[in-house]
Amino acid sequence: MIAALPRLHAVTDDRVAARGGLVERAAAMAAAAGPRLAVHLRSRLPGGAALLDLARRLAAALEPHGAWLVVNDRADVARAAPARAVQAGRGGLGTRDLRRVAPGLAVGRSVHDAGEARAARADGADFLVAGAVFPTASHPLAPAAGTGLVTAAAATGVPVIAIGGITPALAAEVVAAGAWGVAAIRALWDAPDPAEAARAFLAALPAAPGVTVTVNGESRPVAEGTTLRELLAQLGLDPRAVVVEHNRRIVRRDALAATRVAGGDAIELVHFVGGG
Amino acid sequence: MTTTVTAPVFQDTPFVIGGHTFRSRLLVGTGKYKDNATMVRALEASGAEVVTVAVRRISLDRTQEEGILYHLDPARFFLLANTAGCYTAEDAMRYARLAREAGFNECIKLEVIGDQQTLLPDVAGLLQAAKTLAGEGFTVLAYTNDDLVTALRLQDAGCAAVMPLASPIGSGLGLLNPYSIRTIKARLSVPVIVDAGVGTASDACVTMEQGVDGLLMNTALAQAADPALMAHAMRLATEAGRAAYLAGRMPRREVAVPSSPTTGMLS
Repeated sequence: MIAALPRLHAVTDDRVAARGGLVERAAAMAAAAGPRLAVHLRSRLPGGAALLDLARRLAAALEPHGAWLVVNDRADVARAAPARAVQAGRGGLGTRDLRRVAPGLAVGRSVHDAGEARAARADGADFLVAGAVFPTASHPLAPAAGTGLVTAAAATGVPVIAIGGITPALAAEVVAAGAWGVAAIRALWDAPDPAEAARAFLAALPAAPGVTVTVNGESRPVAEGTTLRELLAQLGLDPRAVVVEHNRRIVRRDALAATRVAGGDAIELVHFVGGG
Repeated sequence: MTTTVTAPVFQDTPFVIGGHTFRSRLLVGTGKYKDNATMVRALEASGAEVVTVAVRRISLDRTQEEGILYHLDPARFFLLANTAGCYTAEDAMRYARLAREAGFNECIKLEVIGDQQTLLPDVAGLLQAAKTLAGEGFTVLAYTNDDLVTALRLQDAGCAAVMPLASPIGSGLGLLNPYSIRTIKARLSVPVIVDAGVGTASDACVTMEQGVDGLLMNTALAQAADPALMAHAMRLATEAGRAAYLAGRMPRREVAVPSSPTTGMLS
């Protein structure tokens, strides 16, 4: 479902969206980061028409570089722009309804604790934005959850983008905790040179935290060197209830822990269903 | 005066497939039920020991129904995996190997479908897959059409049982060619299990009266208005047909023969 979820997410807020130069800054970051960048349009300030106009200008600036536009909550704007994904905040529409409004777009969900992460996964989200991990100026009153939140969210098997007080210096720590990528507001938009800030983040992300494998026909990012047994655990599957085929070869249960996946691998997970 | 009616007890030969002995000659599928509780009730009522299952991808988003083993006790039912939906020998063999890896048994209900509309088998693919799988130690039960020569070739290929159809899968048309089924049963030494096409209890009874070893059905139960009641009827019909076959029917005559004495009439 997700072709390749970007690893660096530049999230806007009302303050960032309201000031001038947003599209130009987004374009500069996209030129530097290419398809590894996603820009989240999260403003609640403008009305629908103004928001869509901004979304379209952002999409036009990002798409030539393969960067994603992600629109928060407004699935109608996401579909019309069009964006690559829609991101549901707390209290937002459910994943199925978002897909109904914006079919074909990836769906992300904000999660703040392990329970929300499990619910988002059960609801079918394609990625999770988990935070706040560290204390942040954007939400000065919100307690920081720490990297434990990242680990708990990653345990669902759904790719996790860590948010909240993340700087290039802290990027490696959240990736080590299980994050696929990082999101930032001030560290990117308020930087004197946003392109340089984007480069600094990408350079700080551990080089090979993940590869893309195909599981039952769907692409998903996994950490390099993940074993099949770990992959099943990330997916919440009991190894006794599943038969695993790895690049067309059946892997016996006792060999799952010793078999590691590599980028481009095709994995099929099957079980018995009703049949005649 | 009271007459005590006792259940008819008859001696039957054991029903053995690839070394596995079963009491019930009725085998049932687990697909197409409106829900799992209805399916379980129908399986119970059928008295079947062998139930068929299909191999499919696990739903990773968990929005779909869980696997069937959450509803069926594999210690209680003998799980016979099928290769339904496979259109090539390669696909069918891939599914068979995955099914065996689930770890229950080495039996496979082999289907290689050749035509989407009729779901009739691709005989060439079926023979190729049967031979390869039998060579790999599988106990192959091959779903085939009601053709004697194909049935003989499947037996030669190492199949443990041959499963000719009564009529197309899911059609409910009943036994279309009793002659072919009788011929296949008469010529094969491996068990013959009629698979697919029965619609109601009389179809099951007539099919078993041909002398076949067993009967497999799915849609007739799953799509009945009351699946558990139809399963009960099918159980009785399967036993009735088997008993009638063993009992040996009277010859057909074109003229009436009185059942009561013709002597001792009043003048």
